[in-house]
Amino acid sequence: MAKLNVFDRMQKLDRRWIYLVVALAIILPLIIPFNSKTYVTEPTENVYKKIDSYAGRTDRAILMCFSHDASTMAELFPMEVAILRHCFERKVRVLTICFMPAAKPLMDYAINTAKEDYDVQSGVDYLSFGYKPYSLFLITLLGMGDDIAEAVETDDQGRKIENLEIMKEITNYNEMNLVIDFAASAAVYSWIVYARARFGVNVAAGITAVMAADNYPYLQSGQLIGMLSGLKGAAEYEKLVDIFAMNKDEYGNPDPREFSKEIIKESWIKLSDIENRKYKTARIGMNAQTVAHVMIIVFIIIGNIGYFVSKNKENHIG
Amino acid sequence: MSFEAISNFVAAILTLFIFSFLYKDNPFYKFAEALFIGVSMGYAIPLVYENAFMPFVYTPIFVEHKFIIIIPALMGSLYIFRFTKNLSWLSRYPIVFGMAIVGMGVPMSIHSSVLVQMRSAMLPMDNINTIIIFIGTVTILLYFFFSKAHRGFYGKVTNVGVWFLMVGFGASFGYTVMARISLLIGRIQFLVGDWLGLIK
Repeated sequence: MAKLNVFDRMQKLDRRWIYLVVALAIILPLIIPFNSKTYVTEPTENVYKKIDSYAGRTDRAILMCFSHDASTMAELFPMEVAILRHCFERKVRVLTICFMPAAKPLMDYAINTAKEDYDVQSGVDYLSFGYKPYSLFLITLLGMGDDIAEAVETDDQGRKIENLEIMKEITNYNEMNLVIDFAASAAVYSWIVYARARFGVNVAAGITAVMAADNYPYLQSGQLIGMLSGLKGAAEYEKLVDIFAMNKDEYGNPDPREFSKEIIKESWIKLSDIENRKYKTARIGMNAQTVAHVMIIVFIIIGNIGYFVSKNKENHIG
Repeated sequence: MSFEAISNFVAAILTLFIFSFLYKDNPFYKFAEALFIGVSMGYAIPLVYENAFMPFVYTPIFVEHKFIIIIPALMGSLYIFRFTKNLSWLSRYPIVFGMAIVGMGVPMSIHSSVLVQMRSAMLPMDNINTIIIFIGTVTILLYFFFSKAHRGFYGKVTNVGVWFLMVGFGASFGYTVMARISLLIGRIQFLVGDWLGLIK
């Protein structure tokens, strides 16, 4: 019987050992955290800048559309919380909606998680339109271009939205001029095709990494004003909120800063200094992601070396 | 024990049941899978009833007496006949009305996916990005032109298109790996952080 070399043995390795190594590569960096640097990309910056430009304005609002269920919560939930935190901190009016039954509890959970630390009121600072059946998606989407109060009518508590404080200066996409769709599917495409093309509304995407490559062409053509891609996008946004929106002066009082690339370069945030874990979830996750990626690259290199060694051996035998 | 601690414990045990499939198929995995489907449906049905049937069927007909709603309501109920062999053809009528949306989508999709994308590929070639976009778009389009054999100079040009496609597939694959690892990280963060309290 021919003696197996190390590469032959690896090719016959039980895949459950690989699962164990992957689990350890993720668990250890989570328990023993380190500060992996988060580089902020332009699509994320653009979303931040757009939202921040509405700070303190009562005649502007953003719409967050939750188009995902719990299966992709790990990637999308941290970005939703980061954006809501940004809005609550900078007094940007937020409207939320979902067209999937399974998205409703996630939408409520995101709002409740972010508002814990702020004195914000439903109907004044934010408003949840609640769950609307998917069959009404297009009717609602197009209807909001004319009159939101007519297209949606009631919020998730059954109140007529036209009577609410938050809607006093918000009529249609002219005021609700940014839609961010959080999706693990092509849902954002509908906003581009119908809301962007028909009404010229600014559309941004908070999407799972799987969907990112598909959406880059829309980013390049300007049909998406910005994009948060997976856990990395969420980590970038968390960082921007900490650097700019949450900036404090020397006495510890809130002192939000204007966006600047120079400040991003100079800023170094130690994760252990942020007390509340909900505001650094994505960045902690990216520590584990970094280690897991290095491990996968090593696996791919070893696998390829093994493949060529085995092929070379077969050629010699042949 | 607080409600949060109990719900975290239940969620953690169910997560471990699902993860047990990585070792091999087992009854715990099957139990968690069936429970998930049941809970999802149990949650969705009353939500849809409350948010679709009540405001759009019951209230308009029985409270506001808008009897015209009976026609679309009956039309919609024809979907149920999908489950019968002999009368399944009746379900095609509501589908016909649904297809109207496709008609509306065609011109808008052409605008967003073709015209605007074409315009953004026709930028002045004054930087490296637009040059790459131009070469990539043209060579890939030529690769998918099958009326001419991919030989000689033309074959070399289409080969460039293949390289662009491979880069695109590589980017998609890289993002997919990142996404899958992120999902695992999310669950492990829950187990190690929320349940066991080991993440600071």
